Order: sequence, then structure tokens, then C-alpha cells
Amino acid sequence: MTMETARIGADANLMPQELADDTSDKHFVAAPCQIACPVGTDAPSYIGYIWAGKFEEAFEAITATNPFSSICGRVCDAPCEPACRREASDGALQIRNLKRFVMDRLGATWTPKPAAQTREQSIGIVGAGPAGLVAAHDLAVAGFKVDVYEMTDKPGGMMIWGIPAFRLPQNIIGEDMVRLQKRCPGLTIHTNTALGRDVTLEELKKRHDAVVLTIGSWWGKKMGIPGENDARVVDGVEFLRRINAGERPQMPREVVVIGGGDVAMDACRAALRLPGCEKVKVVYRRGPDEIPARKIELQGAVEEGIEFIYNTQQVEILPQGDDSLLLRCVKTGAGEPDADGRRRPVVMENSQHDIPCGMVIAAVGQYGANDDLEAQGLMAGDRVATEWEGMKTADPKVFAAGDGAFGGSTIVMAMSHGQRVAYYVKAFLEGNAKPVAYRTPWRTRRVPVAQDTRWEQIALHHPEFHGVGENPVEFPEIESTYTWDEARDEAARCYRCDAETGSSDYSVQNREDIFLMARMGKDDVARQARMLAKRLRPRENPFPQDRPATLDDLVFLPANLSRLVIDPYREACAINTDLGFGRMELEQPFFAAGFDDAPASVKAGVAAGLKGVAAGYIGVQPLGGGAPWLQLVLPGQIAPSSEAAGLIHVVGPRFEAPQGAARLHENQLLGLSVAHHEALEEAIVFGLENKFDVLLLNGNHAVGTSMPELAGAPDLSMLRDAITILRRLNREEEIDILWYGGVRSGTDAAKAIALGAKAVVFGMAVAFAAGAEIHGHELLFAPDRSEEERAAAVANILKAAAGEASMMARCTGKTNLHNLEPEDIRALTRATAAATGLPLAGTT
Amino acid sequence: MVTIDLSQVSVREGNEQIRAAGAEGHDIEVLNPDARHHIGVGLIHPVTVTVRGSAGYFLGGLSDKANFRVERNVGWGLGDNMYNGSVVVGGNAGAIAGVAIRGAEIVVKGNIGSRAGQVMKKGTLLCAGNANFMAGYMMYGGRIIILGDSGERLGEDMSGGEIFLGGPLNSLGSDATLTDTEQAEIDDIRAFLDRYEIPFKGSFQKVVNAGKKLRYGTSETPVRSIPFFTFSGQSDYWNQKVQEDVYIKSQIGRYRVRGYGGARAVPHLSDLAFRKDVTAAAIGDDPVADVEMKTLIGGINGAKPLTLSMPVMIAPMSYGALSRSAKQAIAIASGMAGIAENTGEGGMSDAQRDAAKQLIFQMLGGRLGWNIHDMNRADGLEIYISQGAKPGFGGQLMAKKVTKELAEIRGIPAGIDLRSPSRHPDILGADDLVIKIEELREATGYRLPVSVKLGAGRIRDDIKIAVKDGFDFVELDGMQGSTGAGGAEVMEYVGIPTLSAICEAERALASIGRRQDIEIVLMGGIRDGVDAVKGLCLGADAIALGTSAIIAGGCIACMQCHVGQCVTGIATQDPEHEKRYKAKVEAQHIYTFLESVRWQIAAITKALGHTSAKQLSRDDLVALTPEAAEITGLPYEPDRRNVELFQAAG
Repeated sequence: MTMETARIGADANLMPQELADDTSDKHFVAAPCQIACPVGTDAPSYIGYIWAGKFEEAFEAITATNPFSSICGRVCDAPCEPACRREASDGALQIRNLKRFVMDRLGATWTPKPAAQTREQSIGIVGAGPAGLVAAHDLAVAGFKVDVYEMTDKPGGMMIWGIPAFRLPQNIIGEDMVRLQKRCPGLTIHTNTALGRDVTLEELKKRHDAVVLTIGSWWGKKMGIPGENDARVVDGVEFLRRINAGERPQMPREVVVIGGGDVAMDACRAALRLPGCEKVKVVYRRGPDEIPARKIELQGAVEEGIEFIYNTQQVEILPQGDDSLLLRCVKTGAGEPDADGRRRPVVMENSQHDIPCGMVIAAVGQYGANDDLEAQGLMAGDRVATEWEGMKTADPKVFAAGDGAFGGSTIVMAMSHGQRVAYYVKAFLEGNAKPVAYRTPWRTRRVPVAQDTRWEQIALHHPEFHGVGENPVEFPEIESTYTWDEARDEAARCYRCDAETGSSDYSVQNREDIFLMARMGKDDVARQARMLAKRLRPRENPFPQDRPATLDDLVFLPANLSRLVIDPYREACAINTDLGFGRMELEQPFFAAGFDDAPASVKAGVAAGLKGVAAGYIGVQPLGGGAPWLQLVLPGQIAPSSEAAGLIHVVGPRFEAPQGAARLHENQLLGLSVAHHEALEEAIVFGLENKFDVLLLNGNHAVGTSMPELAGAPDLSMLRDAITILRRLNREEEIDILWYGGVRSGTDAAKAIALGAKAVVFGMAVAFAAGAEIHGHELLFAPDRSEEERAAAVANILKAAAGEASMMARCTGKTNLHNLEPEDIRALTRATAAATGLPLAGTT
Repeated sequence: MVTIDLSQVSVREGNEQIRAAGAEGHDIEVLNPDARHHIGVGLIHPVTVTVRGSAGYFLGGLSDKANFRVERNVGWGLGDNMYNGSVVVGGNAGAIAGVAIRGAEIVVKGNIGSRAGQVMKKGTLLCAGNANFMAGYMMYGGRIIILGDSGERLGEDMSGGEIFLGGPLNSLGSDATLTDTEQAEIDDIRAFLDRYEIPFKGSFQKVVNAGKKLRYGTSETPVRSIPFFTFSGQSDYWNQKVQEDVYIKSQIGRYRVRGYGGARAVPHLSDLAFRKDVTAAAIGDDPVADVEMKTLIGGINGAKPLTLSMPVMIAPMSYGALSRSAKQAIAIASGMAGIAENTGEGGMSDAQRDAAKQLIFQMLGGRLGWNIHDMNRADGLEIYISQGAKPGFGGQLMAKKVTKELAEIRGIPAGIDLRSPSRHPDILGADDLVIKIEELREATGYRLPVSVKLGAGRIRDDIKIAVKDGFDFVELDGMQGSTGAGGAEVMEYVGIPTLSAICEAERALASIGRRQDIEIVLMGGIRDGVDAVKGLCLGADAIALGTSAIIAGGCIACMQCHVGQCVTGIATQDPEHEKRYKAKVEAQHIYTFLESVRWQIAAITKALGHTSAKQLSRDDLVALTPEAAEITGLPYEPDRRNVELFQAAG
């Protein structure tokens, strides 16, 4: 499946549960590593979890689609890694080793929740290799009873018989097997039960409602050259089986392995470790660029001292009198490309030569075979004849999968076959004749991106490689796993191709499309058309009707040609503010509010912070510490204080003139606090008539709570309406407006000022700076901050706000923040345009 | 000696004759200069031009190696951007004498106007009389010698260089300080004075940068971009993003800086749909062959236009913000696709010039890397007024990216947090701008299109000025445009969306009946051929792609450009990181992307029933959201959304 079709999300509601995934999430794209993984492992998530130290979550993400995660952590051919986009930069993420890191921590001890057998129907599976056991797993988890018939004495197939312990220790296989058994109580594995010898297909068909053939590609192919029947010529898979059964045969001094695949790699490295063997050579008929062995296996073999003889083809084996053999070879060159695109080796003239050795191991391919199936007519050559769509054989009750059905492949590919066949068997048993075509589901756990700022620099780091070790015949493991620090560094390197980065226009889906557009054939009309159809898909309306008016949706109009910009990097912009015709002078138009109920140490910190930047405080009680205090006077509560720099009388939803509102000294500010539209007009008229200095507008309507902003977005129309009333009365200059509601930054402050406020009140923003956290509907202060830290943070947030506010003014060409006007801003949404009375950007 | 009488020939003819004489090695005498502007601009030969009288603006501007002698006074911008060579003025000079010089020796025997030596990089500016205010304003290097009164705020915001003052110090500018002189410096000044026969026996005070503003005081707490795709209005008002923002600012006490474009959704071209079912229309196998897309830009006033194989160009991005390799990849791809590339701020490299078949050379207020030789080898000149990502701000390049080599190209001290000036020294209004455009045209013989880049704001007014001032085209950049580094708040909250910008521009030009007098290149958040066609339908003559081209070439949009350690080697000057970028491979990707854009433009144009991209019009569009309908004036047809969805699903 191509990546672009892979990513067009299917409607989750229409997909069967097994295939439902997250591809319809507009904030998700299956990363290239996940797409490259045949079982769709959610690698970005487990990598993210590893970085966060959440190993159990990582374990879940790893094992969710892979019952052989411990094994894969050691020996998966990891197609994810070449797909990793960091490969093009400074090297792919070590995805397999990160998996191993988690499995080494939790693999041995984790007890999965058993999946109960809930159905009557049973399935017989022939062959306990990766394909068969994964099919068994998925079907058992789906509630079926499953019986697996295995001809050897151990389950695992090539995982156990094909891979030597220096790459895959037996106990690691055991971990996965134990977990499999615990997870699937309805699964029984019958070892030493070969098809045809101990049980027949007919019997299985009678015993079970469906049969799955996963017979593997068990037998080594012959080379087809004279002399290969010599006893000193062995086939690779047979050789590995003996070694993996525990044999450690005495070897001749020199061994030649023929072939360039994974079996050849394991065989040559196993031979090297056996007693008597001093030199191993690998003969391969193509060049180093064409060798199919995984890079890491090849590197390991080279590092261990194995010699690779490329472009060389065996033609005959000649036994010699002195107990040795001569492997007669010819040199090859690159010919025309084959169907698979690799160049066919052609024999060079006069290139015959002999390689002396004591043993030849032929690893030139495998085949599947079974007499019973042959007799039933289910075989086609060396494979079970199987249709890829539906995984069906000629017998309607019999399915097949894995290497035995589709030829030699990898563990993870065989596992994906197991998943695929389980899906179709389940559909068959449920009587679903036309199941939705199978595809690997791509799920995400939406893990946050690793917050390591060195992520761009950290170099790729391989775990320590040990080679053959001190006692090679014991087959000690070739490499260590990562330490926690190493794993964390490696995890931090992940690009997180699956996730949003925060860009709006270049969302994860948009940038993936661009990436694909950059990689599609100019003349590939079908692909271009598919992509165009996808690109034509409109985005969701980001401004649905229920989206409230917000300060976010206001923008400033920069100065360009029609007026000069004031250089925000260097040129001055005044932000000092006077309230009440000189009664109160502030260095910047900022107040803080809402700390009446805060712990004493928080109050002290905030007070010191405010004093540091000469900002004022508004509250029922003074904050102390010398910051100018505007007292909120609630009817019938604390009496007005002469200590206060100002008295703000709080007005309810229905306006009632505050009793005895008067200055206690000439320089004291007098103000009204209004939180409701209903009271606005009367309050304004009253304030003007009685020479009040300020009108505190509370956009959150929530009077009486210490932090009204917790309620959410402010009602900007309060400001609009207050200005409208003042303008109507033609007395805009006679009272100063303080805006309180939703101000998060200097930009918000500048917007409120442009809309008509003289100063703004910071509540939540200062609280966050002082260490507040939202817990449900409450604001709590983290206890682990000192008073000094809180003070510095409060001063800093207001300093930053002052810088931002003046920056906005300068961008619009103003040298004084208070010269900002409504004309300097525009709305981006209709709701915000309505609430502020401003035009929509671009409509003037 | 060749004599040119400006009472007989125009300045344009006179300058052509001066350049021709210079090329043949003849000295030149200019009679009856009558304070005309631009005398001798663009002269690049080591000859002497003697002006018998007074000259106007930009005497000897944009020149190299030539020597000018003016008997009387000169207007402002004396020796603008001169590389090597010299000017001696017998009388007084107007404002910004020696602006942006980079090696020249400029001697004014009388007084000089304000802001003398603004953004100069190298060379000597000598004023034998008094200076007006802010001499040495934002100078990066070189030497200013003032023998008389310093004027106010001497050395205002200078980043480098030295000012020697022989007369009284009126006041020092911001971030300027007095320092001790060394004997060798004084000896060198005396030798200079002797050479120009200026008798002065007094002593000198020396003024240099105080070093308080070159670097941000506290470094910002770095965070890898957290994808807050929900914003206030769609989620809790005091959401995680707000909290993170407050937290970081409460640690650093100033605004935040980041790279890339906007983080939140604004009305966008993608809120429009095509009136016809584009996916249902038969477009054949080769729509590209069936649709005329060739586009000429910049020729309306007689310059040689850019010839674009489709109505697309590359948006300005600097070598500096981007690595040399990334710029090279883009240049190669633009050449392969037959479209124009743009230098952005900070100069032109040979590699870029060679790879790009058509290249626009951008001029900013700091005049970093700006010079006559690169102007001459450019295919278009662009005056940057502002950019969509951070209108009002000059370019910003954090110290990490200001390498020695980059500093050398730009003529600035290495290792400073470079914050380019917001304004041009010589463009303080529409009238200056007319003269500046004329200077550029005079210097290059009226061959090259001259454009203006505007970060969209008061477009209704700005576009009218642009057309009246005679630009050949305008590059209109909406607020979604990206940048290598900018104030986070400015990126989000200053400027108007690209969609709004084009609509307002079209309406403004229509209202004065002058749409045909300027061409519009629209940019800012245009991601693909679909967006491109919508921009063209709304009236743009061409569109430009910036970020999308970078993404095609390997950018992963991590929004950390400002850090300077780009993981892919794109937005970095660190050689270890740049090494990761395979310019040739990525050039092919960018080219392939541009070809896909071409395919999309052709396919849509054809599906809409046109044979040429020029036939695209507003009638081809409808609006999907109320906002888009109101901004564009297009019919609001929300049901089209479902049709499009259905088509995509099918």
C-alpha cells in the first residue's frame, strides 16, 4: 500500500473493530516507521513513552500488535529503521534496540490479562512458528479455542530453530511464550505432533471449525552442483537447527558459507564460535550492495572477522585426499537487472578458482514441504497454494499463511501474515463471506513529543557490541542493551513524524502531503489526481458558530508605507500611565488582582514582584509590600481604607449607587467595578456625575470570587458597550477604564488598550507566574517555590508584558502605547468583530 | 575627460554616458548638475567624476571604485552603499551621508545632516564641520570622524565600528560609550586628514558600542514545540499553551522568539472551494500540456520581466536563516522548474546565482550584503518594507547563526543577535520611496523590475502608495508567512491573513482604477496548487511558495529554526548539521514538488473550463465559511464542503 493511500483515513464507524485505527484523526499521520512495520507497531508512541520514563505504557504500545516483542527486540529485521526520516540526516532511530530496552525491563515479569475463551468454535493451526502463533494469539484473544500442532518439541519455529543464542537467547523466547500462554488460556500447543505423521488434515478438519496451515519454509535448498552430497557439505537451516538444539560439533579449521541472506549470516557466525573453527568465509554471487543480509548482521559478521568473498559463484565441490574440500568457483559480474531490479550475476570468462576448506555450509534458500498436503493437492511446488486476498487454500475450511504459503521472509512479516489470516478466519467463522479487505491498522497513543532540547544534536548511539565474546562456544550475547540514559537520548532523537508540531498551515497532514508531492512521478497521472482529490478536501471550519469572541481573534495592523514603523528592537515607546487625572501614576498600565485568598507566602511573593515593576494591586485586602493598592469595596463588608491608593466600589447586576462612596483623601482614586451589562449604563452615568476616576470592567461577570477569570473567555462586548455609552455621552475622556478579563500577555493588554481601556488587570497570568496550577475549578499554588522565585517570576511576566504591549504599539507605528486605537486592530472572526465592533480583516 | 552637461541631457542619459565613459577609463566632468539626484549611481570603474556645482540625492550611490569630487553641496544619501572609491564634497551634505558604505572614503568639508553613516559597514566618513543628530546610527563597522560638534545621540544603537570626535560631544546615543584612543588610530586619522588636505590639530574622543544590546540578556528556556492545536476559543481559555507561555516568559522577562509561521488557524484560502466539481471534470492525461501557464512578471513599466513557466515563484528566504545548502537546493529546483528564486535578506552567493536561472535580489534596511555588482547580476530588485510573519520587524538572526562567513557577507560583527533595522535609512515616506526606486533603476539602467515586499497590514492604503510610487510589482505577504526567527506574539497577532490581503488589495486598486498599473505576487501560507489557484482566482498575478518548498526539501516543521541547530541541516549555519543536508537530492524533491504544484494548477484550471491560468477569476470560487464569504464577497455555499468531502472519499 502506498503511503498516500495508507493515510487517507477510513471512517472508523464503518471499519470492523480489528481494523479500526486513528487514520481519520486530522492531527495524526502514521509515521514512516509505523507504515514500514508489517504489524503496524506504534513506534513513535513507545519511543515517546520511553523518553518520558513510562515503561509500562511503552510496553503496552510495543506488545499491542506484537506477541513476540521480546524476540523482535533482539532480532527483528526492523524495516522501520531504514524508513526512519532521520536516516537521511544523521542516522535512523535505533527503534529495535529501544524496543529491546523496554522488553529487557519488563518482558520477564509482565503478566498480561488473560483473554477468556468466549466462543465454541475452534481452530487448528499447523506449525508453531511466528505466523501460526500470531494467528493463534489473535484468534484466542478473539475468544476462540485454538490448538496449535507443532512437529518439533518446542514452539517458535524458525525463531527458535533458526536463530543462534548469541543473537537470541533461549530465555528471551521463553518470555514471549510464557506471556502468550498467560494471555491466551484458550490456546493449546501440541508439540511433537507432525502433520501427516501424527495427525492428518482430515482429522484436523473434523476436529476444528477451521484449519490454518503455517508450515513454514523448513528445508534447505540444494545448490545443484556436483559434489554437494559429500558429508562435509551441510545445509544452513539444518546446521542451525543442530546448533540450536544444543550441539556444539567440532569443526574443521576453515569453513565456507555460501549465500548472502540471514541464514548465511547466522550460520557463518555460529560456525566461527564452534570448537576447531578458525576461519570462516562467505561466498556470495553478487556484490556488497546487493547482499540481502541486514546491514547490522553483516557488520557484526565483519567485525567478528568473517571474510566476505563477493561476486563469486560456486560450481563444484571437490573432496581432497587430506580430509579437506576444494570449493571450485567462478567470478561474476553484474548483468541485466532481474525482475526484482537486482542485477543478474553473469559468469566472467577464465575466472575459475578454488577455495580450500574443511566444510561447506549452503545457505541458498529454503522450501516448504508436506506429504499429506501434497496428497490433498493443496501444495503448489514448495508452498501451500494460497490466495493472498482472504488467505484461502483450495479447501474452503483451510487457510494458510507465512513462509510456507508465500515463501521465505522475515519474522515480522510472518507475524503480519498471522494477523491477516486470523482476521479472515474470524470473518469466515462469523459467517461473513465478504469481509472488508484487511489492512494493517495504524493506531496512535498520542504521546507528547520528548522535551529534550538537545534532540537535534544527540548523535546516534549503538549499544555496546561484544562480538564472539570471551568464551565463544557458550554463545554469549553479541550486544548489550541501552542504559536508561542512553535509551532516553536515543528516544529524544525521534522526529515524531506522526505528530503535530504546532504549525497551523503546515499541520502534520499538510506537511505529509507536501512530502509526498515532492516524491511523486511528474507523469504519474493517477497519483497526481489522487493527491489533488485529497488536497481539495476543505479543512474543518476553525470558526464554528459556537466559538466565542476572543482576544485571540484580533490582529494589529502593522505600519508599512502609509505610516512609519517604530523600530521595536530599539526605539522607545512610552507606556507610563496616569489614572484619575494624575491621581495615580504607573510605570506601565498593569494591575494584578485575585490574591485575597492566596497563601501568605504567595501573597508576599506577588507583592514583591509587583513592587519590582511598580505595578498596582486590586483586591479586597492589601497585598502588603508596598505595591499601590486599589481596594475593592463590597457593600456591607470591609470599610474603605485610607491606606488604599484607590477605592473601587463593586456594583452588582442591578445597579445600586454605592453608599457613602467618597475619597478618604484627595489623591485617592474613586472607582466602580461593573461586571454586568445590565448595570453598565447606570454605573457609567453615576460615575461621571460623581466624578469617579475609574471604571473597572470585569469581563468574566463573576464578582465575589477571588479569581473570576477561571470561568473562561471574557465577554469583550462589555468593553465595547462601555465605550459606546461613553461616546454617546461624549464623555469618553472623563473616566479611565480598567479592563479585567482574559488578559494573558502584553499583546492582550495592548488589544484591550486599543479598544479603549487605560490599563488592564492581570489575574490568572500573574497567578501562573507565581506558581498556580488549575485543579478542577480551583487554583492551587505549587508549594515548591520560594518567595523570591515567585517575586522574580511575577516581575518577569509583567516586564515581558510591558515589552510585548509596547512592541505591538511600535509595530503599528505608535510611540505611545496609549495612542493605540480601535482603528489599529481588526477582527478575524465574525463573532469577535461583533463583540468588539471592529471590521473583519480584509473587509475595509 | 568626458564632459556631460546636465542642462542638455537627462540624468538617465547622463548616467549612461558616465558609465560608458567609466568603462573606457575616462574621467568625467559634470556641468550644470543643478542639484539633480542620482548623479553617478551604479558607476563601477576607477575613474574620477567631478561635479561642477551641487548634487542632489544619492550622489555616487551604489558605486564601486569610482572617485567623486563635488565642488559645492550634496543632498541626502551621499555615497549610498559605496564599496570602494571616494567622495569629496566641498560644501555641506544632507542627511545620511555615507549611508551603508562598505569601504569608501567620504569626506565632507562642511557640515553633515542627521544619521550620517547609518548602517555603514566599512570605510571612513569624515565631516570637517558639525554633525547633526544620531551620527553613526546603527553602524556595523568602519570609522566616522567628526571634527566639529557631535550632534545629539552620537553613535545611537551602533553595533560596531568607531567614531572619532574632534569637537564637543553633545550627547551619546543608546548603547554607545566613550573609550580610550590608541596612538596608532590617531596617527592613522592624521594621515587620512593630510591626504585630504584638512588641517586639524585638535585631539579626539572615541565612541564605540557599549555592548549592552547586542545580545539578549537572558536566554529563553528552550522547549521543543508542543503541538497546541487547540486555542482559546476552541478549548479551555487558560489552556496548556497559555500556561506554558506564561511560565517561560516569567523566567525570561521578555517576549519569546521562535521560528516558522503561524500556530493558530486564521481565515485561509482553504476556506474557499471551487464552484465546479473539479474532481469530477475530465482533465485528460496531460493537463499541463493543455493549459497555458507561462507568466511574465515585472515588465509593465518597460523592464525586462521575469519569465515564469507557471505563475509561481519562490518566496524570499535568506542565506542566514537557511543554510547555504538549503538555499542551493531551492535555487537549483527553481531553475529546473523555470521559476524565479529570491535571495531574501543578507546577500547573494555565487552558488545561488549560478543555480537559479532567475533571481530576485532583496534589499532591506540594514543593506546587508547589498551591492551594485549583485544588483547587476540579478533579474529583479526588491525593496523589503516588511514581511507577513513579523511586519514591523527587521530580520532577526540569533547569534548562533551569525557565523564568521555570514558576518563577512553581510558586513556585520560576528556573534551578535542580529536584529536588522525596521526601516530603511532613506525611506521615511512615500516621497523618499519614489526617489529610492529611481536610484535603483538609474544604477541598473532601468533593466530590472523593481518590486516591493509588504507584510499585509493597512493594505488599502499601502497598495495605493505602491502603485503611485511606480513599483513594477508587489509581493504581498499575509500573516501566515514563516520566518527563521521572530517574536512569537508578532507572528501570531500582527498583520492580516493572506486571504484578507489579496481581497483588500484588489478592492483598493479597483477603487482608484489602477489595477493594471501593478502586478501582485501573493504569498503567506500557500501550500500547494489548490491554494495557488485560489490566490490566482482572487486576482494575484502569481503566487510564491516558501515554507512548502522547504518542507518538500526535507523540513519537518519542528518550528525550531531560531535555535540554529536544525536537525535536517536546513535552518542552521552549523557545519556539522548542514552536512546532513543533501542539496542535490533535496533539489530534486523540491523540483518534484513544484511540478506537482504545476500539475495541480493545470488540472484545476482545465477542470474549471479554462485554457489559460490567466482566465481564472473570482467566478470560479465560492466561500465555505461566513468569514471567508465576508472577506471575499463570494457567495457563501457551505454545502460545497460536503461535495468536496464526498469527492475526496470517492
